[in-house]
Amino acid sequence: MSNLALTKQLPVKPKKARAEMAQIIGFLILLLVTVAMIMPLWFMLSTSLKTTKEMLAYPPSFIPDHFAWGNFKELFINTDIKFGRQYMNSLIVGVATVIGTVFSSSFVAFGFARYRAKGSTFFFMLVLSTLMLPYPAIMIPQFLLFTKLGLHDSLLPLILPSFFASAYMIFLLKQFFTTLPNELYDAGRIDGCREIRLYWSLTLPLSGPVLATVAIFSFIWSWNDLLAPVLYLDSQENFTLPIGMAAMLSSKFRIAPWNLMMAASLLSVLPIVVLFAIAQRRFVQGIVLTGIK
Amino acid sequence: MKSTRESRREGRLFYFFISPWLIGFIVFALFPVLASLYYSFTEYDIIHTPEFIGFGNYTELFKDDQFWNSIKVTLKYTFISVPLTLFLSLIFAILINQKIPFRGLFRTAMYFPSMISGVSMALLWFWVFNPQAGLFNYFLSFFGVGTINWFLDENYAMWALIIMSFWGLGGGMLIFLAGLQGIPAHLLEAAKLDGAGRLRTFWNVTLPLLSPVFLFQLIIGLIDSFQVFTQAYTITQGGPNYSTWFYVYNIYINAFKNFRYGYASAMAWILLIAVTIITFIIMKLSNRYVYYEGGRER
Amino acid sequence: MSKKTGKFMLSLTLVFGLVATACSSGGGSGSKDGETVTITHYTIDSPDRTFVEKLIPDFEAKHPGIKIKVTKAPYEQFDSKLQSSIAAKNAPDVTSHWGYGGFMEYYNKGMLMDMTPYLDGFKASDYNIPDDVMNIYKVDGKTYGIPLNSYVTVMLYNKDLFDAAGLQYPPTDYEDKSWTFDKMVDYAKKMTVDSKDLAKAQYGVDFGFGERDQRPQYFGADVYSADTWTNGGKPSEINLTKPEVVEAYKKIYGLIWDQKVSPTPAFSKSVSGQFGDPFLSGKIGMSVVGSWSLAASSNFNFKVGVAAVPQGPNEKVRSVLYVDPLFILKDSKHPKEALEWIKYLITTEVQEKSIELSGGNPPVNQKAAEKYYSNFEGIDPAQIKQVFEGAYKYGFESYNHLISNYSQINELFINELATVENGDKKVEEVLPSIEDKLKKLLERVNK
Repeated sequence: MSNLALTKQLPVKPKKARAEMAQIIGFLILLLVTVAMIMPLWFMLSTSLKTTKEMLAYPPSFIPDHFAWGNFKELFINTDIKFGRQYMNSLIVGVATVIGTVFSSSFVAFGFARYRAKGSTFFFMLVLSTLMLPYPAIMIPQFLLFTKLGLHDSLLPLILPSFFASAYMIFLLKQFFTTLPNELYDAGRIDGCREIRLYWSLTLPLSGPVLATVAIFSFIWSWNDLLAPVLYLDSQENFTLPIGMAAMLSSKFRIAPWNLMMAASLLSVLPIVVLFAIAQRRFVQGIVLTGIK
Repeated sequence: MKSTRESRREGRLFYFFISPWLIGFIVFALFPVLASLYYSFTEYDIIHTPEFIGFGNYTELFKDDQFWNSIKVTLKYTFISVPLTLFLSLIFAILINQKIPFRGLFRTAMYFPSMISGVSMALLWFWVFNPQAGLFNYFLSFFGVGTINWFLDENYAMWALIIMSFWGLGGGMLIFLAGLQGIPAHLLEAAKLDGAGRLRTFWNVTLPLLSPVFLFQLIIGLIDSFQVFTQAYTITQGGPNYSTWFYVYNIYINAFKNFRYGYASAMAWILLIAVTIITFIIMKLSNRYVYYEGGRER
Repeated sequence: MSKKTGKFMLSLTLVFGLVATACSSGGGSGSKDGETVTITHYTIDSPDRTFVEKLIPDFEAKHPGIKIKVTKAPYEQFDSKLQSSIAAKNAPDVTSHWGYGGFMEYYNKGMLMDMTPYLDGFKASDYNIPDDVMNIYKVDGKTYGIPLNSYVTVMLYNKDLFDAAGLQYPPTDYEDKSWTFDKMVDYAKKMTVDSKDLAKAQYGVDFGFGERDQRPQYFGADVYSADTWTNGGKPSEINLTKPEVVEAYKKIYGLIWDQKVSPTPAFSKSVSGQFGDPFLSGKIGMSVVGSWSLAASSNFNFKVGVAAVPQGPNEKVRSVLYVDPLFILKDSKHPKEALEWIKYLITTEVQEKSIELSGGNPPVNQKAAEKYYSNFEGIDPAQIKQVFEGAYKYGFESYNHLISNYSQINELFINELATVENGDKKVEEVLPSIEDKLKKLLERVNK
């Protein structure tokens, strides 16, 4: 930034001036785009604090006349919405998925990173091939399986698969585990560690940051997932947040409660924002490594 | 050299550690893929036993308007939204990578909206596109544009979804940004010394170095947009007049609303084949056009 | 109570039930079979349905050998949960067609039990159920459902908007032939305010007579051939391109686009969401709608009146009836006990009690109906009675109960007619293609 100030004083070469011009235009474009990106967010926030009457008024107001904080309370006390219960369900599924994914995927990745065996390349290729396997292509037999087991309308079908490792996360963790020096393990073996201890007490403690990335992203996936919950969950008490919120658009309300829906959206984004605030770097790293947005 | 006993022990350990994945792979991937192939040759409503009908589902599919329409809808969305999103996120990444004030702030502000995904985003944009009380039409009214019904109008619903998809380009932008920052400074310096202008440097140095990132994003973008469901389920229910009747939504309706699991399985298999082919084609093309540092792969 | 604890409790009651009945044979009357049977009652998760839970203690006290368990799901998920529980061999005993699908759909899938063998000594007249209502759920003389509630189509009107426009309230007497469709449109014109501001805009009438394929019936035109009602709900012919049907649809959608007295879908959805009823927002003068909307009338923030559906071109049909029955599912292991529960629910006493507990469900039991008519604050019971009786007289059962695979058919109509409702296309442009697609659909599902 000091650079910019410097060049401003010396408008010597036309080339430099052109570069500077480009930068200013770039800055203005970014400013415009940023405003455009932020506006809907602002609309969300302000709608969540409007009364029903103000919410329908034209033109829309940008700051509510008086803040209807009651909207947030309404979410939790209105028995047609059951927001609190659904929030809890989403948390249960999210946390269980994180635990399942972190432990199972690191366990498997450890196997892939540390040991060679006949077929180990083949199996790793198999892992990679499932990276692109679309869920809709396999959801029907999965659904039929869980339904025949009587697990329909429970949270288990959403949680169970995560305990059998995720291809993305195996890939991510394996890349990291192979960077850990072999000497470390040799030393461990000399100390008489059994292999499972090498995984548990040596590898895991060294992998905090990567594990955090895995945890954050498996949480976000599970938190935002709509399709699987839509297939499995039928009663309102068992809904996770995404279906619960989508259901607020349906039947039961006289006037579509946009203000409540915006309040619900805000609260549902909250855990993600908190994660972002405390682990911004993990976030960015995770996105860059996995391409998951 | 390892002894055979040692390597046998290592083999056992390998299979011990990968066993959770192996079980999961068989139960949650391999079995479903094969099972849905089987179901795709049957008529199955979950209550009665599956009835084998050979290629019946497939021949019906090829005559089904709704099936072709869902492909058309999905491809339309894909071919407009994916390239534009990629292009825009690259542009913004380049802009943010300049020496301009408040870079960190811009980056966060651009990225932040992409965290609001799924149903929250769908609801927000449904509201933003509300014909009467929404933000978007109000904004357009300053330019003299009359009321557009967006999600309620078959000519605009798809465009509303595409505009909405731009809102999530922050993630892609971050990836490009990381790619840009990962370009070794000495390469850019060298280009400058050779007298290359900014544009030429970008074209001849930056872009080739970014191509793996580009490819990666393209694959993920394509596969994601083949699987659009949340928007159709939450906002449009595939309408108006089937204009947002996405492929996966079609599978969902046929399987879980019309209870035609066999018919839907046939569609699921076609999706699987399409995704496999596209991934394969892009990988093949990439061998020819994508530059990997340190020489081409293979 | 979660599913698991539910199962646990169930096995507990089974175990202790044996012990308890063995020990307590001295006290109490009732069954001494030595076994407790649990009947599952599956219903929609909304207060006007789940109130049955409050009836259980009384029923169980009167029938010591039977326990009732209620399971529920929201409307949108109703069918999927039902199918899944049947697939998991976990089907409920008693339910109704409360989801998208109707009676004929369940019947053709073979989901329903023929109750006839258990109905020895059952007389509809003992429960004050009219014979023609009882016959709706008979096929080839076999009974597959016993009516529970009977909804009709009524006209609701917003008294505040009528007063503001200085209009006379519409009549409740179906024999008052001066109350016609054209007069309704006249009234509607006087109440319509066209405005961009959602808070100010209002419309005269929302004409929600049945589902989209039934609406022409009001104008004396039938979309389906007459054999549909006798052959298990499978139309042999579709009449969507017949001039009278086209004219009927022109009239219906002319309310929005020619007369401009009805709300556009954009307006309705902006105000009430994707599935809501815009009348409840207080911005609609008159609404032709199912009588379930009446149940919520105490919560309206405006004064509501009820009137006869105006006289249209069809002399015989002016109201769509929605008779909800109770079914016993085929896999039920205790049809006898399930039937006891159903019979309990249609007794005069329980039907009367249900009116208040449900917030105003119209009983099928005509003796209890007297009490129903006086259940609505601010509306004269005599008026409601008149409207209901007129509706029964000029009523036709809703297509969704009578036609096979109705949810797919309805989906087709909703999507294809959206262009007309949005004003993008004319009725006559769209109907031929609907007829085409509908024929293909029927050919497939009814093969």
